Amino acid sequence: MTTIAPKKEPERESVLVRRPGPEELHPSRTHRRRRALQLALAVAVPLVLLLWWQLAAAQGWIDDRVYPAPSTILSDGWDRAAAGDLWPDVWATLKRVLAGYALGTAAGYLLGLLMGSLSLVRAALEPLLDALYVVPKLALLPIFLNMFGLGEGPQIALVATTVFFFVWISTMSAVIAIPSGHRDAGRVFGASPWQMFRHVLLPASLPSVLVGARIAAGVAVLVIVASEQIAATNGLGHLIFDSRALFQNDVMFVGIVCVAVLGVLFSELIRLLGRLLTPWAPRDRGRGQS
Amino acid sequence: MGDPHPKLHATDLTRGFGRPPHVVDALGPLELTVAPGEFVCVVGPSGCGKSTLLRIAAGLLRPSTGQLRIRTSSPRPAAMIFQDYGIYDWKSVRANVRFGLDVQRVPRREANARADAWLDRLGLADFADAYPAALSGGMRQRVAIARGLAVEPELLLMDEPFAALDAQLRTILQDELLALTQSLRTTTLFITHSLEEAIVLGDRVLVMSARPGRIIAEHHPPFPRPRTGEVRTDPEFTALKSELWDLLRKEAAPA
Repeated sequence: MTTIAPKKEPERESVLVRRPGPEELHPSRTHRRRRALQLALAVAVPLVLLLWWQLAAAQGWIDDRVYPAPSTILSDGWDRAAAGDLWPDVWATLKRVLAGYALGTAAGYLLGLLMGSLSLVRAALEPLLDALYVVPKLALLPIFLNMFGLGEGPQIALVATTVFFFVWISTMSAVIAIPSGHRDAGRVFGASPWQMFRHVLLPASLPSVLVGARIAAGVAVLVIVASEQIAATNGLGHLIFDSRALFQNDVMFVGIVCVAVLGVLFSELIRLLGRLLTPWAPRDRGRGQS
Repeated sequence: MGDPHPKLHATDLTRGFGRPPHVVDALGPLELTVAPGEFVCVVGPSGCGKSTLLRIAAGLLRPSTGQLRIRTSSPRPAAMIFQDYGIYDWKSVRANVRFGLDVQRVPRREANARADAWLDRLGLADFADAYPAALSGGMRQRVAIARGLAVEPELLLMDEPFAALDAQLRTILQDELLALTQSLRTTTLFITHSLEEAIVLGDRVLVMSARPGRIIAEHHPPFPRPRTGEVRTDPEFTALKSELWDLLRKEAAPA
C-alpha cells in the first residue's frame, strides 16, 4: 500500500518490538552522561576558541599588537584591577545602567499597564510610541545632551529610554493577552481597580514583563557603552575607545571583556529575580524570545 | 485470546517517569493481547497511564521494562488520532489529510486522489480547500480521522479523540466511526473516558486501575457486528455500563 517497501522480504510479516532503550534501562547513568556532555561542551567550545587565539598570537599568525593574546589581556586586566585603575570605569558604567534601568522599567511598566488596561489611553498614545520605538535610541543622544548638558543626565536618559520601550511593549502586550475569563472572575466578585491589579493583572502579566525586562537588561549595557564612547569622560565605553586611540589594544580588550561580563551578570540577575517573583511560570530560558 | 498470531502483544509492560529516587510509576505491569482486526477500548480514571500505553504502541515513548510486540510488515504500522486533533492550521483540509501520504512520499497525484476519497467518505468534500480554522470542532476531528485512515494503517491508535466535542456531536461521530471501522476492520486501540463510547465501539472493553495503570477487568460487549448506535438503548447496554461504572468509580474516586 505504501511506497516504501520494507527492506527485506516485503511479503512476510515481521515483528516490530517496542522495548526499553538505554534511557529506560539506566536512567541515572544516561542522565548523568548527558549532563556531563552538555557541561563539557559549554566549557570546551569557548576554551578551544581561546586556546586557538592564544596559539595564533604566540605563533605570530595575527599581529599581537592589534589582537593581544588572551593571556596578555588577562594579566593586564588583573594588574589594572589590582592597581584600582579599572574600578572607577566599571562603577561609572554600572551606576548609569542601574539608574537608567530603574527609571525606564518603572515608566515602561506603568505606561504599559495603563495602555494595556484602558483602550482610550492606548488609542491616544500607541501611534506616537510606535513611531518613537523605531527611532534608534542613540540618535536621541544629541537631544539629551542639549537637554541635560554634559554629565550623567544624558547617559541615564538614554538607557532609560531604551529600557522603557522594551518594558512598555512587553507589558502592554502581556496585559492585553490576559484571558478575559481572568478579568471576568474578578469583576463578578466586585474587585476594585487596585484589587484587580494586585490579584490579576500584576501576576498574570509578570512572566512576560520579566522576559522583556531581561532582554532590556542586555540592551541597556549595549547602549551605555555606545553612548559613553560618544559623550563621556569615564566608563567602560570611554575606556574602550580611549585606549584604542592611544593604541593600548590590550586595555581595549580588557574593557570589552568587562562589558561582556557586566552584561551577562546583569541579565542573569534579572532572570534569577524573575524566577523568584514568578514561581508558577515556566522557566525563562533562551536569549531571543521577545 | 487464543489467537496464535496476535497483532499486538504486551508482556510485563511498565513505564515510569522521572529519575530515581523520584520515579512516578505511570503504567503497569500490564499484559495485553490484541487480535488482528480487533477493536479494543481502554477506559480508566484520569492519569492512569492510558495515553502512556498508546504512546508506547505508537513508538513515541519507550517502555521502562517489558516489551510490546507488533506483528506487521511495515516499519511504521500505526496511525494516531489525537484528542486535540493534531491537524495543522497552515495546511488546507486536503493537505492535512494528505500529510501522512506526503511523508511516505506517495506521488502527489495518487495522494490527492486518496485524500479526496477519504474526504468524500467523511463528508468533507466541500471543504477540501478550506483551512482548518474555518471548520467546526466536529469537522476538524473528521479531518484528523481522515488523515489517520488515509495511510491505511495496520494499527489505529485513538487517544480520546472525541473528548473535546459536545455530547451530541460525540454521539454522531461515534456512530460514524462505528460504521467506518466495521467496514475497514483495522486493528484499533481506542482510549476513552466514556464508558458509553467504549461499549458502543469496542469488541472488547478493558478497564484500567488508578495509577500505575493495570488492567483490572475485561468485558466483551454482547452486541453482534455489524452493530449500530441503536445498541445504546439495549437493556444489556445499560447493565454493562453500570457494571463497569461500579468498577471504575472505585478507581476514579480518591481513596
